[in-house]
Amino acid sequence: MSGDVRFDFIHFMHYTHLPDDHKKYASLWVDFPNKHFDPERGRALYERYLSELILADKLGFDGIIVNEHHNTAYSLMPAPNLIAASLIPQTRNAKICVWGTPPNLEYPNRLAEEYAMLDVLSGGRLEVAFPLGTGMEYWANPINPASARARYRESIDIILQAWTQDGPTTYYGDFYTYRYLNPWPRPFQKPHPPCYIVGTGSPETIDIAARLGFGYASVFVTKQRARELNEKLRRTAAEYGHHMRPEQFPLQVITYVAETEERAREEAVDHIRYFFEDALRTTPTFLAPPGYLSVEQLKARAALADKLHGKFSFDNVNESFFVAVGTPDQVVERLEEWGETMGTNHFVFLGAPGNMPNWKVVKNMNFLAHDVMPRMRARAASQRRVAAE
Amino acid sequence: MAAVAFPDQFKRETHTINGLKTTVLSAGKGEPLVFMHGAGIWHGINFAVPWTQKFRVIIPLHPGFGEADDDPAMSEIHDYVMHYLDLFDALGLDKFHLVGFSLGGLLAANFAVEHGHRIHRLVLVGPAGLRGKERPKGDFFLLPPEEIPGMLVSNFDVIKQFLPENPKDLDFMGERYREGGTLARLLWEHPYDTKLPRYLHRLTMPTLLVWGEDDKLLSVQNADIWRQYLPKAELQTFKGAGHLVLDEKREAVDAVQRFLS
Repeated sequence: MSGDVRFDFIHFMHYTHLPDDHKKYASLWVDFPNKHFDPERGRALYERYLSELILADKLGFDGIIVNEHHNTAYSLMPAPNLIAASLIPQTRNAKICVWGTPPNLEYPNRLAEEYAMLDVLSGGRLEVAFPLGTGMEYWANPINPASARARYRESIDIILQAWTQDGPTTYYGDFYTYRYLNPWPRPFQKPHPPCYIVGTGSPETIDIAARLGFGYASVFVTKQRARELNEKLRRTAAEYGHHMRPEQFPLQVITYVAETEERAREEAVDHIRYFFEDALRTTPTFLAPPGYLSVEQLKARAALADKLHGKFSFDNVNESFFVAVGTPDQVVERLEEWGETMGTNHFVFLGAPGNMPNWKVVKNMNFLAHDVMPRMRARAASQRRVAAE
Repeated sequence: MAAVAFPDQFKRETHTINGLKTTVLSAGKGEPLVFMHGAGIWHGINFAVPWTQKFRVIIPLHPGFGEADDDPAMSEIHDYVMHYLDLFDALGLDKFHLVGFSLGGLLAANFAVEHGHRIHRLVLVGPAGLRGKERPKGDFFLLPPEEIPGMLVSNFDVIKQFLPENPKDLDFMGERYREGGTLARLLWEHPYDTKLPRYLHRLTMPTLLVWGEDDKLLSVQNADIWRQYLPKAELQTFKGAGHLVLDEKREAVDAVQRFLS
């Protein structure tokens, strides 16, 4: 591992007060009745979740990450920019990472404006990701999934044009016409905040990241596939003349650290189970609205579906995905190994999975901040010195 | 992709229209009868065999369905009308009877609204695409794929032979998913045609509406919506038949033949 190591903390802000009979719902997404949302409990969860992200900043995590989903108990963040805006004055150093609003779900000029506002408000701490959005978002929002990828490409082009070219400019596209693209404010960072694509590795999104020189975070893919995707992106980006840096490959790891491995498992497994079995529970139809995937992708995902959304087994998840549950030593060892194999120095801790209570999240963050991150930073620094000598 | 087995007497021809490869099935002699299929052709065309006794039956596969190529740029019904103008020119078809089923009914109605002088007689079988006062019952996209076959028929045995033994057959799933994508390009934003009612008065040719009384996908009440705009159209409904009324009821096939004769 070379260069500075970077550690982010991601929060999904699940709504965890499910009715006792929630298992009878095939999906907690799209059509899970919203009568089950209790605003009192929702308010308490917002307060708690925000306090966890603020703590991450205090403990020295380099970035805090929020994201967007609709119609679901999986997430309390249909509008992550609102969360980001409330985090800015309560944090000092951490990058505010909005990972992010699917560009298809907003007018592109408006998204360019909102992100520019956050970047200016935070004095340049904003980082953004452009997800296509899960299939579920297309059942919840009035956008055609069959033309989603073409619209997505156009939206990103408009946002980049809005950020990088002096306005007013014009844009005459297939989906949007801008006679005066001239958004105020403009981003604090030049030419614009660092950008990532977050995706599950469809060839189209890899190509967009490669063409634009964006970072890429693959989520919900197996370790083997994630590694292949990183390699493919490095190759493809080089063809477009971009040299990908290690920090452009954020690696999302389900992490829980405790005094002993046994204790770590005992404290974390039920919440990881909740994450896979309940929070992520949805139907194949919701995952893949018509035209959203290529036929090849549909078939590939049908094969993977059982791993992600089926019957939970910690051993399977531990084997297939990036999961580091154990002592500080064990977690450091795993992260360093994956840093090598994945060619990254940028780790994203999924450290508040499922219905994990606040005390465990705080414990986990403290272990990470005191017993994992400093050791990895020191080791990376000493390797840099060796390399320099 | 696995080709659907069509009845032997049908000749299969490939045509390339605007760079897009499509298949045209044809059989029989007599006045031309063009059949526009629905949002899937996997259940075959056995029902059309009796028509070949009296007509030259021509069944083109719509782009994005069955063996026909995809064209993501075909994103509205009118693109299909234009495609068929080109295809009918290529086939040297001037005037013909037009029978459209389900999505094909919506296409046929649109074609006939614009090019009515080419249509002798028009038959719309369980046509999709008009909006009722209630929430449209025919929102195909709300159906989980595994439930669709059961929604199409009154008697499941009629289509069982066309379905894979394994309900999770990946190739079958993939093909249906692809056709769902084609349909989404046309009908996702609105599962109905908002403009068509303005122009249905242009259907001055003799017109027959055919509906299965047990249609679970587009209920027979939809026929009333069509008849509001087509007061002169004849309506025939069939008991014990679902959406695939032609596949289920020989009487419906015969009724179409009598109407066209």
